[in-house]
Amino acid sequence: MPREQPKVPWQMEPEVDRISNLPGHIIDKILSLLTLRDAVRTSILSTKWRYKWVNLTSLVFDNQSVLVSSQDPTIIKNKMVKIVDHVLLLHNGLIHKFKLSHRDLQGVSDIDRWILFLSRGTVKEFILEIWKGQRYKLPSSLYLCDKLLHLELFNCLVKPPLGFSGFKILTSLDLQHITMDQDVFEDLIFRCPVLERLTLMNFEGFANLKIHAPKLTFFDIGGVFEDVVFENTFVLSTVSIGLYVNVGNDHELTLGTTSKLTRFFGSLPSIQRLEVQSFFLKFLAVDTVPRRLPNPCTELNYLSLRINFNDNDECLAALCILRSSPNLLELELLARPDEQPAPRSVKNLLEEDYHNCFFNQLRFVKIAGIFGSPRELNFINFLLANSPILERMTVKPASPDGGWELLKELLRFRRSSVHAEIIYLDP
Amino acid sequence: MMKSYIWLQTADGSIQQVEQEVAIFCPLICHEIHAGMGSSKTYPISLPARVNPVTLSLILDYCRFHQVPGRSNKERKSFDEKFIRMDTNRLCELTSAADSLQLKPLVDLTSRALARMIEGKTPEEIRETFHIPDDLTEEEKLEPLKNITDDPRIRLLNRLYARKRKELKEKEKLKNVEVEAEHVDDRSVDELLSFINGENGESKEVKTAKSKKKNKRRKDQQKNSNNTPVCAISNTSSTNTTTKESNGSVGHDDDDSSRVKTRCLPDINELLKLQDSEDDRFDDFDDCDIGDGIDPEIKEQIDREVEDFARRLNSDWPERVQELLSLGQERRPSLYTVNGNGCSAKFSNTTTRLEKHEK
Repeated sequence: MPREQPKVPWQMEPEVDRISNLPGHIIDKILSLLTLRDAVRTSILSTKWRYKWVNLTSLVFDNQSVLVSSQDPTIIKNKMVKIVDHVLLLHNGLIHKFKLSHRDLQGVSDIDRWILFLSRGTVKEFILEIWKGQRYKLPSSLYLCDKLLHLELFNCLVKPPLGFSGFKILTSLDLQHITMDQDVFEDLIFRCPVLERLTLMNFEGFANLKIHAPKLTFFDIGGVFEDVVFENTFVLSTVSIGLYVNVGNDHELTLGTTSKLTRFFGSLPSIQRLEVQSFFLKFLAVDTVPRRLPNPCTELNYLSLRINFNDNDECLAALCILRSSPNLLELELLARPDEQPAPRSVKNLLEEDYHNCFFNQLRFVKIAGIFGSPRELNFINFLLANSPILERMTVKPASPDGGWELLKELLRFRRSSVHAEIIYLDP
Repeated sequence: MMKSYIWLQTADGSIQQVEQEVAIFCPLICHEIHAGMGSSKTYPISLPARVNPVTLSLILDYCRFHQVPGRSNKERKSFDEKFIRMDTNRLCELTSAADSLQLKPLVDLTSRALARMIEGKTPEEIRETFHIPDDLTEEEKLEPLKNITDDPRIRLLNRLYARKRKELKEKEKLKNVEVEAEHVDDRSVDELLSFINGENGESKEVKTAKSKKKNKRRKDQQKNSNNTPVCAISNTSSTNTTTKESNGSVGHDDDDSSRVKTRCLPDINELLKLQDSEDDRFDDFDDCDIGDGIDPEIKEQIDREVEDFARRLNSDWPERVQELLSLGQERRPSLYTVNGNGCSAKFSNTTTRLEKHEK
């Protein structure tokens, strides 16, 4: 019997609609990789695609997901409200992630009802970013979202209702441009018992940061505050801390009390990565600075310091931290240009240390924003002389003026590591 | 050392021998080997029906490359990029086959590739790419709420549209009788009270015929909601209670004047109210609105609003590109420590955007 095989059988194949017949969980996966707009648009592809998107567990309303081609804030608002209402109404099933972050949407009261709606479900990840306008006052229903694992708020007013019992399983909290009262802040942190990551940027309404968080491993803060106190932060390993306002040089009479530096590091026994930004080094330095910390930071392997080399206190504080960090692997020193002129007679702060301080693990050093002043060069010299396994030091001055002079000085310094490479980067 | 081989059988009956170290990359096959299968041709591992010889050979190519230790991420990435360059249907088959063998990395890879083919395309382009039949009527495309699934929320949305049409109509009516508008509030409070107390239609003389009619309708609804189970967005009984509470407390929102103020979608309380009245009543709105000879101008407005959603679905690709481009300029990562001064991003007023710190 002659077999009637088509000569090119694969030519027929392309006519088959295979994607629509993929298993449901694969289609869900594909839809979840699209922007919300593209995902919703699949509903007009065919009958099979009609309601595929309504099971999406992640709803992201941002500028890519929602296109509003208008400049008029009222039109933008109306459109956005309509779109979010529509999607929430048509959606079916669990919503695990909800993100609202349209660059032109202000904090309108319509958001209240979306949050209320979400609070009845199982939302695990809630991100609200209000890029324009006044702080948006969060409705009390937000504090009922007890399934939250990640909460991210931008430009909001945080005021939980009385009897707020906390976010019991929240592991990650990101608050930026927020306003809340002092006691509310302390209470909020306290009532997130398993918090692992905390970001706080540009806050108002509280200035004394009491961080009681036994599970915290990551803490990133930048803002204006008076003090920061850690309680039960035994596993905190990554800290980035910036104080955005300068503290005066007037030394408080703190005789008899432990220095800020000692207290700060004393409460961070597991610190591995530390970034000290803006004026925080100055904050730590305005106090009695010990030569060494009572307990060395044995786990610290990355340190970045924003420092004013012209400020004696800051230099002493930096040296104290360095002397107490025997296992440092990577160091970054970023000069903070200061309006004060450099002191005429620079006391060599480091002479005594040349023989009793070694950085036996230090491999990488980065120094940026310097002017080539004697104090700065002194620091570089100190590091090169005491780092026996240094591999690379990168030096980047603040301005090209005096670049040659700086280079000449750098060439002269003795290096205790035979492998050390010095890289000069143009500003 | 000699390589060990195992036997695999695809759904078409063909059997082939494969290196075990390659095949165990698929969790399903690995599991079968541990169960003692595949060691001889007489006891091959029979693979799921979604795996055919062609996709199997592709999957084995993928495993063969990735099972070799010590490859750099860059090498793996460039292999993956080349690997997914294939006909879209083949890609779909491969996704399905990899899924049936529980080979998650490959499912992730092909799903991403498929998503990229859909991203930013018009429905027509997507249909063409994947040979999806265009089996929706134009009408259906403009009305994405057809109640195929028995989802109460889709019904609800249809009702909202009907309601919106009614609002617009009433607004028009109100324009003509603006003088009377102030009385409406009083009436509505009475209505609300009577609604709560259950003494319908008997309270005040002030009521116009229109509001009486409305009241009657409400009474019916109430009766109805007592009989039928409340169809709530969430199924918990606590939510149902809340529903009823909010239904009462915001009742005066229901009066004509404030309803007219609700220009966009009605708020959640109105939605909740709607869901209490799960019956055909709102379909009446539909009927009377369509037949009522509305002002063409309003009708146009209604149509515009109803189609808004569909238009959003259909909007053009160029528009999107423009938006993305402008977005790229705005979305530069913001550094708040500028030049070492450590100055924070300034808090801004309504005209400018705030800056966010990313870590």
